[in-house]
Amino acid sequence: MGLSILAFGQVAEITGTTFSFDHVVDTNALKLALEKAFPALQHVRYTIAVDKNTIIANTLLNENAVVALLPPFSGG
Amino acid sequence: MHKPKDIFIEGAIPPAMIADSIGKHQTKTEIGAHSIFLGQVRKDVINEQQVAAIEYTTYKDMALEKMHEIREEIFAKYPLTCMHIYHSLGIVNAGEICLFVFTSSAHRKEAIDACEEVVNRIKAELPVWGKEIFENESYQWKQNK
Repeated sequence: MGLSILAFGQVAEITGTTFSFDHVVDTNALKLALEKAFPALQHVRYTIAVDKNTIIANTLLNENAVVALLPPFSGG
Repeated sequence: MHKPKDIFIEGAIPPAMIADSIGKHQTKTEIGAHSIFLGQVRKDVINEQQVAAIEYTTYKDMALEKMHEIREEIFAKYPLTCMHIYHSLGIVNAGEICLFVFTSSAHRKEAIDACEEVVNRIKAELPVWGKEIFENESYQWKQNK
């Protein structure tokens, strides 16, 4: 069972809007794995949200976590 | 937790909806001041290309939770009678309205300050993305200033 990931905006153009990924232990590991799978992500700014909260430090990921990749917000 | 109130509407915000919303407050006679912010899609010129429209997308579950949190904090901070917020999704053409923030209170200062703060927080904190579509159909991702 992999981790399911949602992507938005410019990030979704690189990764697709939803995809699943082999489980990784924490968000630092996820970042490394993502940038290996999608090298173009290295040139795009994004933050990671876990269960709808933007993370500021490395965060453990359980199998059921809802992970989202969020480029800089530009609403309004 | 109950489901947070939806703020999103598909396409541009019709001016008539704004007028109706103002009219609905006539029964709330404790109100002495309304403050309204309307965001309009600007026909920016970037590299000689004019912006024809902005296409908005969101991470709705997160955006509505965040908006609920902002709403609670604003009501705790300012003595407001009510607050209404609408944000467009999908295509909004240049010249059309994409954001409507409406705060009401007994006196003007609270309504004006709350309105300003809500607009700033929407732009900074809601997971919403605008894609600026140019007249030649190329595009770029909008950046908030």
